[in-house]
Amino acid sequence: MNETLDRTNLTLRDRLKAAVESFGLPRLIIAGFLLLLFIAAPFVGSDFWTQISNTLNRFSWNAVMVLAMVPMIHSGCGLNFGLPLGIISGLLGATLSIEFGFTGPLSFLMAIVISTPISLILGAGYGWLLNKIKGGEMMIATYVGFSSVSFMCMMWLLLPYHSPTMVWGFSGKGLRTTISLEGFYDKVLANFLQINIGNLSIPTGTLLFFALLAFGMWAFLHTKTGTAMTAVGSNPTFAKAAGVNVDKMRLLSVMLSTWLAAIGILVYEQGFGFIQLYMAPFYMALPAVSAILIGGASVNKASITNVIIGTILFQGIVTMTPTVMNNMIHMDMSEVIRVVASQGMILYALTRKTEGAK
Amino acid sequence: MKNDNFGKKVVGLIRDNTVPLMFILICAVCIPISGFSLPYLINEIVTRMGRNIFLILALLIPIMSGMGLNFGMTLGAMAGEIALIFVSDWQIWGIPGVVLAMILSIPISVLLGAFCGKILNMAKGREMITSYILSFFMNGIYQLLVLYIMGSLIPIKHFSIKLPRGYGIRNTVSLLNMRQCLDNLLAVRVGGVKIPVLTFIIIGVLCLFIVWFRRTKLGQDMRAVGQDMGVARDAGINVERTRIISIVMSTVLAGFGMIIYLQNMGNIATYSSHSQIGMFCIAALLVGGASVDRASIGNVFLGVVLFHTMFIVAPKAGAVITGDSMIGEYFRVFVSYAVITLALIMYETKKRKHKSLVGQQLQQAQKEADAHE
Amino acid sequence: MNKRALLFRLGAVLVLIAIAACMMVIGRGHTIYLDNKTLEYEGTEYKACYRATLYGPDGEKISRLNARERGMSTNIGQSFSMTVGIIEQKDADEVMQTIALKLPYNMDGIIVNIPGYLAGLPQDAWMSEFVATPSEAELQEEAPADGEDVLAGAEF
Repeated sequence: MNETLDRTNLTLRDRLKAAVESFGLPRLIIAGFLLLLFIAAPFVGSDFWTQISNTLNRFSWNAVMVLAMVPMIHSGCGLNFGLPLGIISGLLGATLSIEFGFTGPLSFLMAIVISTPISLILGAGYGWLLNKIKGGEMMIATYVGFSSVSFMCMMWLLLPYHSPTMVWGFSGKGLRTTISLEGFYDKVLANFLQINIGNLSIPTGTLLFFALLAFGMWAFLHTKTGTAMTAVGSNPTFAKAAGVNVDKMRLLSVMLSTWLAAIGILVYEQGFGFIQLYMAPFYMALPAVSAILIGGASVNKASITNVIIGTILFQGIVTMTPTVMNNMIHMDMSEVIRVVASQGMILYALTRKTEGAK
Repeated sequence: MKNDNFGKKVVGLIRDNTVPLMFILICAVCIPISGFSLPYLINEIVTRMGRNIFLILALLIPIMSGMGLNFGMTLGAMAGEIALIFVSDWQIWGIPGVVLAMILSIPISVLLGAFCGKILNMAKGREMITSYILSFFMNGIYQLLVLYIMGSLIPIKHFSIKLPRGYGIRNTVSLLNMRQCLDNLLAVRVGGVKIPVLTFIIIGVLCLFIVWFRRTKLGQDMRAVGQDMGVARDAGINVERTRIISIVMSTVLAGFGMIIYLQNMGNIATYSSHSQIGMFCIAALLVGGASVDRASIGNVFLGVVLFHTMFIVAPKAGAVITGDSMIGEYFRVFVSYAVITLALIMYETKKRKHKSLVGQQLQQAQKEADAHE
Repeated sequence: MNKRALLFRLGAVLVLIAIAACMMVIGRGHTIYLDNKTLEYEGTEYKACYRATLYGPDGEKISRLNARERGMSTNIGQSFSMTVGIIEQKDADEVMQTIALKLPYNMDGIIVNIPGYLAGLPQDAWMSEFVATPSEAELQEEAPADGEDVLAGAEF
C-alpha cells in the first residue's frame, strides 16, 4: 500500500520534473511572476482592464520585431542580434517618406515601400557576411548592429533632409532625436477598427496587421522553400546532401529577418507616435531576442506560437511591474526586474546544449 | 625572385596589421586638422596610458586560454566600483583608500569571475556573446545592489553618497580625497608632460607578472587549453578549472584596473562608468593589432596610444571639417564598433580558412593512403 | 589540494586582511575645523585671540584667522599636529604653538576650539563633532542615467 503510493508519487514528481525541464525553469518563473502580478494588480488599486489594454497595446507594437527573429533561427543563423540593421532601414523608410511629403495613412504605406528595397539590400549584404563567418554569427551580428547604428548617427546629421517637421529648428539641418508622427502615421493601424469597452481598448488594426504577417510567415515556412530553410537550420549536412543550396537559404532568411525588422519598427512607431533616431535602436535587439526565448524558442528552434506567447509575457512584465511594484512596496524596481529577467533568459538559452548555430 | 618574395612579405605584413595601419592613417589625417599642439597631445596620451593600460592588460589572460575577448571584464569593473563606494563611505582617503579598495574588490571579483567562468563553461564555443550578455545581466544585479540594497540592508552613512530617499547610491560618487593620489606620488614632469611614474611602475609589474605567468605550469596549461581543449584534456589538464581560473584572474585584474582608472578620473558615475569600459578596452586592444586568439603586451601599448589619439582628435577634427562637434563624437564611437566588428570578422574567416585547410590536408592524406593500397 | 598550498593560501588571505585592517586605520580621513572663538567652560571665559595663523607642515601659511573665524584642514590618520601662530592682542608678537591631538576614529568632521585647547582644558571642552547639513543641491533626488546617450561623449 505504502509502496504503491510512493511509486505513484514518484512518477508524478518525475512527470512534473520532465514537464518543468521541457518548459524550462526560467520560463516557468517568468510566467508565474506575471500571473502573480495580474492577481496582485486589483489589490493594489490598479485597474485590471487598463492593464490588459496596456499589455495588448505594447504587444501590438513589438510583435513584428519579435517575429523577425523567426527566419534566422530557422535557417540556423541563431538569434538575430543584428536587428538594428533592419531597424535602420525602417527608419530610413520612415524619414524619407516624410521628407517626400507624404502624410496620413499614405505615409505609412510609403514608408514600407521605401524601406523594403533598403532592407533587402542591407539584408543581402548582412546575409553574405554571415555566410562568410558561419559559426560566429551572433557576436558578429551584435557588432554589425552596433556599427550600423553608430554609422547612421553621423548620417542623420549629414544627410540632406529638409522637412521642417524633422530637422532641428535653429540650424535647419540634421534630424531631431525624436520626431512626432502627428499628421503622418500616428496610430494609423491602431485606430483602424479599434474596439473600446469600458477601460479595455483593443488596437484591432495593429493586431490584424501582425496576424497577417504571422500567417504569411507560417505559410512561408510550410512552402518548399520554407521547409528547405528549416532543414538547413536543423541539419546542414543533410540539407546539403539533399541538394539544398545552404548559403542561399541562409541569405534568404537574413533578408527576410531584416525586412521584418524594418516593418517592425514602423509598426512600433505608429503605436508609439514618435520616430526615435540616433542611439535609440542600439539595444532594441535585446528585448526582441529575450521575448522570443521567453516564449519557448531556443537558439535553433522557434515557432509563431513562441513569438505570440513570448511577446505577451515579456510586454506583460514590462507594463505590469512598474505600476504593481510601485503600489506594493513603493520602490520602482521594474527596470532591474526587466533587465534581470530578459538577460537571464538569453543567458539561459545560450548555455543550453544545442548543435548548429553558435 | 627575391624581390617577389619581399613584395609578398610586405603584403602579408600589411594584411596582418590592417587595423593598426588604418588607425595610423586616421590619426595622421586628423591630428593636423584638429590643430592640437603636440605637447598637449602627448600629455593627454600619457595620462590616458596610465589610466587605461592596466584595464586592458586584464584582457590578455582569457585570450591566452582561448576564451576570446572577455566582455565579462565589466564584472570586474563593477567589483571595483562597489569596493570604492564602500571605501569612500568609510572615509578612507588617499593611497590607503586605493589599497583597501583593491583588497575589498578581490573577494567580489573572485565570486563574480567564478560565476562567469562556470557560465562560460556551459557555453563553450560561444564564450564572447555569452560573456557579453552576462555583463548586461550582471548590470541588472549591480543596479539591484547599488540602487536598492545599499543604504537599506547594507549600511551607507554619508548623505553625499546616499540618495536623499534613504537608500541607493547617487549618480556620481566623488573620489575627491583619493583623486590621482597614485598618479601624483612620484610624478615627474618632463617638458610640461606629467608622467605618473608610480602608475607606470604598477603597470610594469603587471606586465612582468604576465610574462612570468605564461611560463608557469598554469600558464602553459592555459595555452594548451586555448590551442585545443580535447588534446589538453587528454594530457590530463582539468580544462574546466583552468578556464575558470583564467576568467577569475581577468576579473580580479579588471577590478584593480577600474580602481586605477577611477582614482584618475576623480569620481564614479555609479550607473554608467562600467557599462562602456569593456567595449572601449577591447576596441583599444584590437586597434593595437591583437586578434581574438592572439594578443601581446605590445598590442596593448600600441593600441592605447593609437586609440586614444583618435579619441582625443576625432571630435575636434570632425567639428573643423563639418562644423558640428557631434559628428566627431559619433565618429569615434562608430570607429570603436567598426574595429571590433572588423576584428571579429577577420578572426572568424581565418578560423574557417584554417578549418577547410585542415580538411583538405586530411583528404589529401586519405587519397594518398588509398593510392598506396 | 595539498596541505602546504592550503596553508599558503590561508596565509595570503590573512596577510591581505591584515593589510586591509592597517589601511582602515592609517587611511581614515578627517576634516578638522579650527575655531578661533571665545569659549565658556565651567563659568570661565577663554577669549579668542586677536589673530591665529595656521601653518602647514612645510611652514607655509594655510589660513589666517581673526577672532570668531574658522579655519579648515584635512588629515589622514588619527594623529593630528599643526603649528599655529598666536597673536594674543593687537601689536603683540606671534607666539608659535603646536596643536597635537589624537582624533577620534568615528568622527568625520571635528571642531577644535583653539583658545580652549591652548588653555589646557579637558578634551570634551574644546572638541566637538561637526555635523554637516546637506546643501540644497544634495537634497535633490537624482534618478540614475538611462544609459542612452552615454555612448556619445563617453569618457575613456
